[in-house]
Amino acid sequence: MSEWNSLYDAILTGDDKTATAVTEEALEKGAEPLELVNQYMVPAMDEVGKRFEEEEYFIPEMLLSARAMERSLALIQPRLAASGAKPIGRVAIGTVKGDQHDIGKNLVRSMLQGGGFEVYDLGMDVPHEKFIEAIQEKDVNIVCLSTLLTTTMPSMKTIIDNIQQAGLRDRVKVMVGGAPITPEFADQIGADCYGDSAYSAVKLARNLISA
Amino acid sequence: MNGRERIFAVIQNKELDCLPLMPITMMFAADRIGAKYGDYASDCRILAEAQIRTAEEYDFDYVSAISDPAREAADLGANIHYFDDQPPAINEANALLADKTRLAGLKPIDPSQGRRMSDRVQGVALLKERAGSDKLIEGWVEGPCAQGADLRGINRLMMDFMDDPNFVRDLFAFAIDLELKFARAQIEAGADLIGVGDAAASLVGPALYKEFVFPEEKRLVDGIHEMGGMVRLHICGKTKKHYEGMGKLGCETVDLDWMNPMDAAREVMGPDQALCGNIDPVEVVKNGTPEKVWNGLAECHRQTGPKYIVGAGCEIPRESPLENVRAITEYARSNQPVAMP
Repeated sequence: MSEWNSLYDAILTGDDKTATAVTEEALEKGAEPLELVNQYMVPAMDEVGKRFEEEEYFIPEMLLSARAMERSLALIQPRLAASGAKPIGRVAIGTVKGDQHDIGKNLVRSMLQGGGFEVYDLGMDVPHEKFIEAIQEKDVNIVCLSTLLTTTMPSMKTIIDNIQQAGLRDRVKVMVGGAPITPEFADQIGADCYGDSAYSAVKLARNLISA
Repeated sequence: MNGRERIFAVIQNKELDCLPLMPITMMFAADRIGAKYGDYASDCRILAEAQIRTAEEYDFDYVSAISDPAREAADLGANIHYFDDQPPAINEANALLADKTRLAGLKPIDPSQGRRMSDRVQGVALLKERAGSDKLIEGWVEGPCAQGADLRGINRLMMDFMDDPNFVRDLFAFAIDLELKFARAQIEAGADLIGVGDAAASLVGPALYKEFVFPEEKRLVDGIHEMGGMVRLHICGKTKKHYEGMGKLGCETVDLDWMNPMDAAREVMGPDQALCGNIDPVEVVKNGTPEKVWNGLAECHRQTGPKYIVGAGCEIPRESPLENVRAITEYARSNQPVAMP
């Protein structure tokens, strides 16, 4: 890791203008798109996650890094697609029906994108059937469900039950998270895992894919 | 000693008969009278009835006009989602200040002219009329970061701190000008104490808190004091990193969410700060047992020492077992405060 270290630094410091400028320059000079992702962007977001865990970074810093990463990735993605490079996995993510909170969901989305996943963000207050449609139409491997409210926690079970009833449960893993969610709750509703932070979500998603 | 006297006593360092009890109830209270939460949040008569009956049933020392953070934003014209049986919520995608240039044209409104703000002011008056002799009356306003997030959208606000710091300063100043008017109206209606909710402040680091949030929180607290009201600070989430600033605000009482250590708060904020909390509302109150509630509160009490107010880290969740809520009351009523050194 050396030639495009400034991309790593720009993402780490949340400098989206430098991140996109370096990405454009790197692509013009023939840098391999996948190399930019794996050698600079993924490690940068990994470091962002670590700094968040260690309370050196907080939500504003994480969001700025995520924005820098997403804007750089937007430049790289067409080349990745053209080269036939495959993502680690495909994820559908959303805040469940009745819940308008999305900051945690957005951070998980960004961390997963930065971690090499193709992510379909269904938004917030997502009707249950949208998750089913994403599995059927986007062929996702993982469904991530988020909520901040205790009142909307039961929606997570409903969605998992719906996935089961639709005969799709063996095609996807389900990850749940959000302030009131616990590992015990995840077990009770039949989720495959519980993530307690955006950083841990990437590690968990990688484990789910390799399982 | 009634509830009102008990809360005044803990704040004024006077002798107490038992521990004061101030758990936050909203959806739990609505459920106790069989009301839909949408009605609770929109009709102060329902809110007052639910608060008073819940406070009487569980011997809480206060009643509160808290319901949701969207009242001010709604009256300013923000796009709000209303639900039949859940709190109203801000529509972030179409936030009022998604275009930040609109801030310049926004005017703080008179709380008596606002639909949802007026309802809260009337709710305070009803609570005062019906329960003011026995229970402490709590009004509620949003802090600068929470109100800023409600108007701008929280995702945008978090990046504005770095992208456009002057806008954040202007936004927070506007928010506090509005909240001071709202607090005054509630104090004039009979509120003894104003709760200040500033949940979004827990999302920023200490440097941003100190530079942007603390000065406006301080202006709000000082302003409420000048009006003759007391202040309860409630910041949801991890706040240990902000303890020093929170302690310097001069609030009569500070709530701590469940993941924050009470002993460290006592150490940083000093012996004169009343502290309220902070058992885990979900894991202990909703999913736990009376024994778990009791033991959790005993540990909070032990860590806090004197000037301890019994409560959960945040709102008592709806569907909490009634015996667990009764255990909170039993702990408060069965235990003596730790004496001041």
